[in-house]
Amino acid sequence: MSTGSQSPEPPRIGVDEWVASSEGRRARSVADRLQERLERTPAAAKLVALALPFAIFPLLVDSDYLKQVGIDTLIFVLLALGLNVAVGWVGLLDLGFVAFFGLGAYLYASVASEYAGRHWEAQFAVPAIATAVAAAGFLVGLPSRRLVGDYLAIVTLFFLQIWLVVLINASFTRGPNGISDIYPLKLFGREIVSLSGYYYVTFAAFVVIVSFLYLLGRSRTGRAWRAVREDELAAELMTMPVNRLKLMAFAVGAGIAGVAGALFAPAQGAVFPASFDIVLLITVYAMVVLGGAGSLFGVTVGAVVINASLEALRGPDDASWLFYGVVVLALVLLMRPRWLPVAVLGATAAFGVVVHEIAEQVRPSLVSGTTFGTASVDRLVDSWVLVPEGAVGPDGLPAGALARLAYIGLIAAILALTLIRSPLWRAIALVPVLYLTFCVWENILLAQPAVARFVLIGAMLVALMAVRPQGLFGKQRVEVV
Amino acid sequence: MDWDKLVQLIVNGLTLGSVYALVALGFSMVYGILKLLNLAHGDVLMVGAFMGWGVLGWLGGAQDPAVAVWLLIVLMILVAMVAGGFLGVAIERFAYRPLRRAPRIAPLISALGVSFFIQNSVLLLFGANFRSYESFDLVDVEVGVSWGPLNIWILRIVVMAAALAMMLALWILVTRTKLGKAMRATAFDREAAAMMGIDVDRVIVKTFFIGSALAGAAGVLVGLVFGSINHFMGFGYGLKGFTAAVVGGIGSIPGAMFGGLFIGLAEAFSVGYIEDLTRGRLGSAFSDLVVFLILVIFMLVRPQGIFGKPEVKKV
Amino acid sequence: MLDELDFSVGEREIVSVIGPNGAGKTTLFNVITGVYPPEAGDVLFDGATIVGLDPHKIARRGIARTFQTLRLFLNMTVKENVMAAAYGHTRAGMLRSVLRTPGMRREEREIGQLAEDRLAFFGDRLVGYRWGQPAYSLSYANRRRLEIARATAANPRLLLLDEPAAGMNPVETNEITELISRLREEGGFTILVIEHDMHVVEGISDRVVALDHGVKIAEGTYEQVATDPRVVEAYLGTSATEGP
Repeated sequence: MSTGSQSPEPPRIGVDEWVASSEGRRARSVADRLQERLERTPAAAKLVALALPFAIFPLLVDSDYLKQVGIDTLIFVLLALGLNVAVGWVGLLDLGFVAFFGLGAYLYASVASEYAGRHWEAQFAVPAIATAVAAAGFLVGLPSRRLVGDYLAIVTLFFLQIWLVVLINASFTRGPNGISDIYPLKLFGREIVSLSGYYYVTFAAFVVIVSFLYLLGRSRTGRAWRAVREDELAAELMTMPVNRLKLMAFAVGAGIAGVAGALFAPAQGAVFPASFDIVLLITVYAMVVLGGAGSLFGVTVGAVVINASLEALRGPDDASWLFYGVVVLALVLLMRPRWLPVAVLGATAAFGVVVHEIAEQVRPSLVSGTTFGTASVDRLVDSWVLVPEGAVGPDGLPAGALARLAYIGLIAAILALTLIRSPLWRAIALVPVLYLTFCVWENILLAQPAVARFVLIGAMLVALMAVRPQGLFGKQRVEVV
Repeated sequence: MDWDKLVQLIVNGLTLGSVYALVALGFSMVYGILKLLNLAHGDVLMVGAFMGWGVLGWLGGAQDPAVAVWLLIVLMILVAMVAGGFLGVAIERFAYRPLRRAPRIAPLISALGVSFFIQNSVLLLFGANFRSYESFDLVDVEVGVSWGPLNIWILRIVVMAAALAMMLALWILVTRTKLGKAMRATAFDREAAAMMGIDVDRVIVKTFFIGSALAGAAGVLVGLVFGSINHFMGFGYGLKGFTAAVVGGIGSIPGAMFGGLFIGLAEAFSVGYIEDLTRGRLGSAFSDLVVFLILVIFMLVRPQGIFGKPEVKKV
Repeated sequence: MLDELDFSVGEREIVSVIGPNGAGKTTLFNVITGVYPPEAGDVLFDGATIVGLDPHKIARRGIARTFQTLRLFLNMTVKENVMAAAYGHTRAGMLRSVLRTPGMRREEREIGQLAEDRLAFFGDRLVGYRWGQPAYSLSYANRRRLEIARATAANPRLLLLDEPAAGMNPVETNEITELISRLREEGGFTILVIEHDMHVVEGISDRVVALDHGVKIAEGTYEQVATDPRVVEAYLGTSATEGP
């Protein structure tokens, strides 16, 4: 204490090792420990850890498909990083974000395609597009400047809707047919034609943007953004121009989306209105919140994980492996004590055998179908799950009420499961639910993996928000309501 | 001036508007009580539309219904209301309630997830094709009220009357009953209401049930007058319904009714006249643009809406 | 609710605003800082009107405040809380921040130093390992201190303190009394304080303004105001002055 010597030393309130170490004593999950480890890692090491796998990826694979997936993943990473500015740093729900991605792509199409009759070089086109899209982001943010967060969400969502209407109906965008004769990237007079070339251009954009965001996040602007997220009114009264900061965040995010769009268009060779819809929007949101909104590392990892999963879920083969793998992994990671997941899985196997046997005796039609799955894991469970004959029509849609009821029943069962407090009863109830999950997976979800993956994304978002709203690598936030 | 067209547009606008008003009411009630934007509200409408369609098919279809047509319609609406109501309650219980004390953005993202989940589940179970109520088989298009230039198909009248009846019932519920009083108290100050012995959770559940039941009914009404439904229909109705709620003044019941009719009329008129007014440069698909502009103008000029009071910041 | 309130604060003066709950003290702060616009009347600062300015512009002219209900940036570190408030008198834009120009780096060093200085004002409570801790980990009294540190980092000339001693124990309250005097002497701030604790008011005030129902009922030295019958009446009700 330095305040005067006339009074006796007062107790040292709050200066206390117990308080100082309070963080360490909270119950921690696997993700918490991961997050803490991450926080102690120096920034440079994180950048290398992020960039290195990307940098060597094309050297490791030689299938064109995987390289294309790599490019798509990097573009998704850029999108997630851009969305993170508004959502993660400033706490604004920007639901029009993918419109800026589309704007970037269409702008590229308008400066470098046969349709436009021009072929700008990328070193001019990309910065120009980024600036133009950032300006558009600023304009879209304007009507929202007087509004609290929720209204902003609707204005931006509506804006996205308008953008799609314009794309589909306007003549200069060629409507739903899109613009399909886009020229490749031309960089300093050289056209980029190889997939590896595209990959590294996108990778370079990633490195530039991630560094840009890292430096920005640690600057005066980044601090002010976070202050706005924490408490708008206090930020305003502490000299920060809240409205302008929000518009800046919008513009920066939009500019990054514009860069992503400008790289996406030539990589695809064509742009269509359908590429920039709500599905993409929610996918990018899933990327941002899974990794942890606010953390550049988390957002990047989230984008990679989600895009890789979505890619794997396209075909029934990888889909099944991924599905069963994630279910087992989740059980092992989340259930304590350690033997419990083993017991649950064993019980489920036994339960399945019994149910299957009973069904075969009582109603053979319940087990006489075959699954859509082709992976060996599906072959493995084929004679264990119930696969009723003709439950799913040739179009992949459930043909009868039974299949639909099973699906809805599964949702209800999973929701009910979350209400059970006692860990023991929950583990017991998990057994039939797990079996039902596998049956529904083999019968309904696997019939249309392309749709099922979005069902899973939606469920993941809800579950994540309830269980760990800060995401895998995000720091837990404290709110005073 | 083409009077027939004008009259027809007014009728269209009022029909559409009564649907928007029902959606807006649900938005408004939930927002009023939880300060939460229920982004999944439009999807409840969609599920209601599918429930109505299911009942229709189960009772023999539009060509050859097993019961009297009026009874069929009542049953469709009732089933959709019950299903919508329970869906809304489930959404509240599992997606929103765990997040009451979470950062403000978390329930919104959860709502996005719910909306995406419901849409894709319906897509998974019913496919992407439009399903039709075949309303013209159910009630002949000639049946209706005819008065001078006015020709209104009876189903449109049914839709408007049903919407009006539900809104009146809600109005009475909110202003005259104990539940209504509890709802208003909870909307005003949740914590104070809880201290006064109001079971806030139950009030919230009931609010969700009522609001979602209205959305479910709106889904059937949409199916009846506009014929076809699909998994994505909830998005557009949700947006317009929300716009209606904002224009009317969020949290206000007469505001939602007025806003709904206003947006419905605005949309009908822009569908009808946008092509003439822009000399063919903008087609009727751009009518959404007009609604969007109304939303933006209202947000800039009068964010509290027509019937709302400006919000006071608490320091 | 304020009604025809009229008073002024001189340079480097410490003025206390007292009054029963609902007297309009916090409303007064909100009007000064631009959170609520006054329906009529004017607020002059440095001879110029500040009515109608955005709150952040008023803050930049040199008026900073604390909040009765603490409003810290809870999930930011202690040091960041203070640094953030220096936004108004720093200039590095996005481009300079990203390029890390020498000017930007100097500015960052300066506000880092500023934050450490402001936090050091409170002895060793908010220094050292505390700098890197999130604000939510602080005790209640330390949060109050951090609020004051944050407000001073905005480089104000007029500091508005909204019940700085609320919820503090007697030792801490004494300390706050001393601190407010030091703020003027060492920081050169003019200070307007809302306070309920009469010992604090007595200890710090050059002048006291008493409000009731938005109306100024007394103004003067602590002794003058404390013995003013209308003030006593406002606090204790009519019967006390009239006798049983």
